[in-house]
Amino acid sequence: MSKPTDLVQGTLDLLILKSIALAPMHGWAIAQRIRHVSKDVLQVNQGALYPALHRLEQQHWITAEWGESENNRRAKYYSLTKSGKKYLQSEQANWERLSAAIGLVLKRA
Amino acid sequence: MRRLQSIFHRLRNLFHKDAVERETDQELCFHLERQIAEHAAVGMSPEEARRAALLEFGGVEQFKEECREARGVNRIESLLADLRYGFRTLRKSPGFAVVSVLTLALGIGANAAIFSMVNALLLHPYSFRNLDSLVRVWEDRGIDEGYDARYIAPADVEDLRSSNGVFEGLTTYNYQSFGLGMEGDVQPILGCRVSANFFDVFAVSPAAGRLFVAAEEQPGADQVVILSYGSWQRRFGGDPRVLGKTISLNGRVYTLVGIMPKDFDYPVPVELWVPLALTPGEKADRTQLSLNALARLKPGITVSQAGAALAGFSHRLEREYPRTNAGRATTLLQLRKELYVFTLPLFLLLQAAAGFVLLLACANLANLVFARMIGRQREIALRAALGAGRGRLGQLFISETLLYSFAAGVAAIVASFASVRALRNSIPAGWTKWVPGWDGIRVDGNVLAFTILVALGVGFLLGLATVLHTSRVEPNKTLKETGTGTVTRAKRRVRNALVVAQVMFALILLVCAGLTIQGFGRLASVYQGFEPASVLRVEISLPKNSYSDKVKINNFYQQLLRGTASLSGVQHASLITNPPASNIDSETTFFTMEGPAALKASEVPSADLQIASPDFFDTLKISSIVGRVFSDRDGSDSARVAVISRGMANRFWPKGGAPGHRIKLGPQDSTEPWLTIVGVVGDVRQNWWNPSTRPVIYKPFAQVPQRSMTLLLRTSSNPTSYISAVRDVVRKIDLGIALRGINTLEEEVADSIAIVRIMGILMGIFGVVALALSSLGVYGVLSESVAQRTHEIGIRLALGAKPRDLLKLILGQALKLTAIGLVIAVPCAVAISRAMASLIFGVVSVDFAMLGGFTALLFLVALGAGYLPARRAIGVDPMVSLRYE
Repeated sequence: MSKPTDLVQGTLDLLILKSIALAPMHGWAIAQRIRHVSKDVLQVNQGALYPALHRLEQQHWITAEWGESENNRRAKYYSLTKSGKKYLQSEQANWERLSAAIGLVLKRA
Repeated sequence: MRRLQSIFHRLRNLFHKDAVERETDQELCFHLERQIAEHAAVGMSPEEARRAALLEFGGVEQFKEECREARGVNRIESLLADLRYGFRTLRKSPGFAVVSVLTLALGIGANAAIFSMVNALLLHPYSFRNLDSLVRVWEDRGIDEGYDARYIAPADVEDLRSSNGVFEGLTTYNYQSFGLGMEGDVQPILGCRVSANFFDVFAVSPAAGRLFVAAEEQPGADQVVILSYGSWQRRFGGDPRVLGKTISLNGRVYTLVGIMPKDFDYPVPVELWVPLALTPGEKADRTQLSLNALARLKPGITVSQAGAALAGFSHRLEREYPRTNAGRATTLLQLRKELYVFTLPLFLLLQAAAGFVLLLACANLANLVFARMIGRQREIALRAALGAGRGRLGQLFISETLLYSFAAGVAAIVASFASVRALRNSIPAGWTKWVPGWDGIRVDGNVLAFTILVALGVGFLLGLATVLHTSRVEPNKTLKETGTGTVTRAKRRVRNALVVAQVMFALILLVCAGLTIQGFGRLASVYQGFEPASVLRVEISLPKNSYSDKVKINNFYQQLLRGTASLSGVQHASLITNPPASNIDSETTFFTMEGPAALKASEVPSADLQIASPDFFDTLKISSIVGRVFSDRDGSDSARVAVISRGMANRFWPKGGAPGHRIKLGPQDSTEPWLTIVGVVGDVRQNWWNPSTRPVIYKPFAQVPQRSMTLLLRTSSNPTSYISAVRDVVRKIDLGIALRGINTLEEEVADSIAIVRIMGILMGIFGVVALALSSLGVYGVLSESVAQRTHEIGIRLALGAKPRDLLKLILGQALKLTAIGLVIAVPCAVAISRAMASLIFGVVSVDFAMLGGFTALLFLVALGAGYLPARRAIGVDPMVSLRYE
């Protein structure tokens, strides 16, 4: 059984960016969302999520803002920047092309 | 932009470290709380929920560190820590710090000082806009005229102006000495006659007033003056109301119309400029090359394109005016490069020598640092064992060496302010004003940037070398070892190689220094053939309007000679057009020999022309070889005569018997009178840059009187004590005559080679520093090796080795290293001195005796440097050293 941390390098970034594409989210919610949406297949190592978030922030693909959480606590909310949106689009297209290609090879070869 | 933002981001993270850390804590806390709440909601006990959440999260501290890493804080933070550490280690061993910083500061400072000269003289000799498009233009007659004789004929200038497609503007000028009449006194000043467009070509505007207009180039309309800033300040106290006032120049009234800005001093720092008003006759002259010309290239035109266009132009003139223009080639040279023939080789040599000094200093410091690294092996191994990667260790070393080099750079900059001032003041002001850029020698932005770059580059490279040198630490092995650490064979080889390189650089530098100093010594004695001691020189220039004919000129000078010769203590008084060591080339002339035209057309004989009064040869004690010199009988009515130099006699009358032959100036069909050679005198070297003496034709002053002459007096006591007496004599003849260039000939000779003297001194300093550094290097490595081998030496002694054997062992090592260095260095030194000899003609020549001498000297120094450590080895007590661990 493969561990979630074995995700292909860079895939975690893609998942984070996609998760916060619709609305700003805090770290815990991002982890939950990835798990739920992937129907518990992808379990993000919770601790590893934060260095990734800070790195993405450093690269200006996401920005962070402190806000009120659903249980009335202060939480750090992450949202996509303009360049983050562009980056997400191109990375998503790349990923789809790549997975389709791998799928083809696995089916036909 | 992104980069800049992220740097700000990092800096914010660094300075608000606590705030950012707190935020991260809060963020992670929030996550854990939510996770605990989640688990509690499905029925876990609070204890269990907490445990599960922490397990799922993983190592909190590790992820915090990763977050810090992700924010990029760590690199800067660790760099600061390294710098702090480096500073502490520096403070802990002040001796090492002082030695290494001083060594480097010496090397960097030498480079900064020399670069300040290169910067001023070669890179920015003038401050004109778009300097690279300004060119000097002149007509080359195919004879060696020296750089002073770059003139063009007025009619050719007119043709060039109307027909060229490469110049945006072409302007002409001539130097002129004036007698400036002020309050009854006449002061000699140097001015310049310039075309109306002169300042437009430089694209400068006046600081006040206006420039010349084209109408003022007409004779009669030309009595207007533009003052230089310096002369405006000195003579008029910087009063802005002088514009519109009049001054008297050579007895004519001129109106002041403009003042130039402070930094404009072309062609040399003159006092004023007046319009160059040529008569129609002078303008149409094609025979005399009489004007200096300067042009600005059109945008986009290169120097070589312009050169090609000028070649076409000269061919056209040659066809149209074969009588005057045959063999003339119109030539151009960038203004910046005009003096390169002297300055480029000299200053590049100095810069190269300074570079060598820096290399030597670096090799020395590298050896010191490497030696220290041996002592720090355990520390390094410990760091490696605790997880410092190679990059992290590299950062540590580089930040340490950068610290040294930065301190050295700062010391060098501080010192360079003083050394640069000393350099600038080292040459007499009267001489340096002829060297464009000399006044600009200072520590400016360029010099600062250069120095800092050199310092940081040196620090970085030294650090990198240390990293490479100490790579592959094996913590396991090193930490288990006892003692101070060991040196592998490979590392010892590196350090030996450094000593070899030092010896090599030292020899090369010493040879270069020796050759330059020797060359200077030869230059100082180059002015042979005359005796400069006890001679006073005074330049006199008679105004054109009051001395319009030869009789008047002759009368003035005959009275002057009689008056000064009768002063008590004056042994000889005489006149000459161009005295030796004037730093001006004599006028060159073609001449024709009577009789069979033995020489081909391309070998038209040429010689320097001098006009001398009879006593000239006695005044300078120039020997008379054959025949006679001039006498008072060679007057304007008697037969035309000439005296020639020995070199000229030997060249054109190799079998002897030159006296009696006749020559005339100019080509075969010239209208000049035939001159009978009456005598041959010894050769005189005119200026230090002349590769050898040139043939000289002397004409008697009485037969061809000139308005501008130099008076020479041989005196029985201190020549300067006669100055006021000479002034009185001149005033008695004519109140309106100004005296210039009053100096003893001896001082003039010394001043004329001042720049070469400075170079000799600098090279000498570099050579001594090189010797000191390399002996320090040999000493350092040998004492290090003795310290390393104390144990071994103890065993040898215990087994019965004699002190002589030990001495042989240690000194043998010193001599071996030196020998290897010298074997490599000797061919390099020979090659470099050959290159120097060809670049600095007449100054430097290859000298094998000197090479041998310096080789022996370096051997001796190596022996001396090895002797101290060897003595220490002999003094080793076997009992102590064997116990010593």
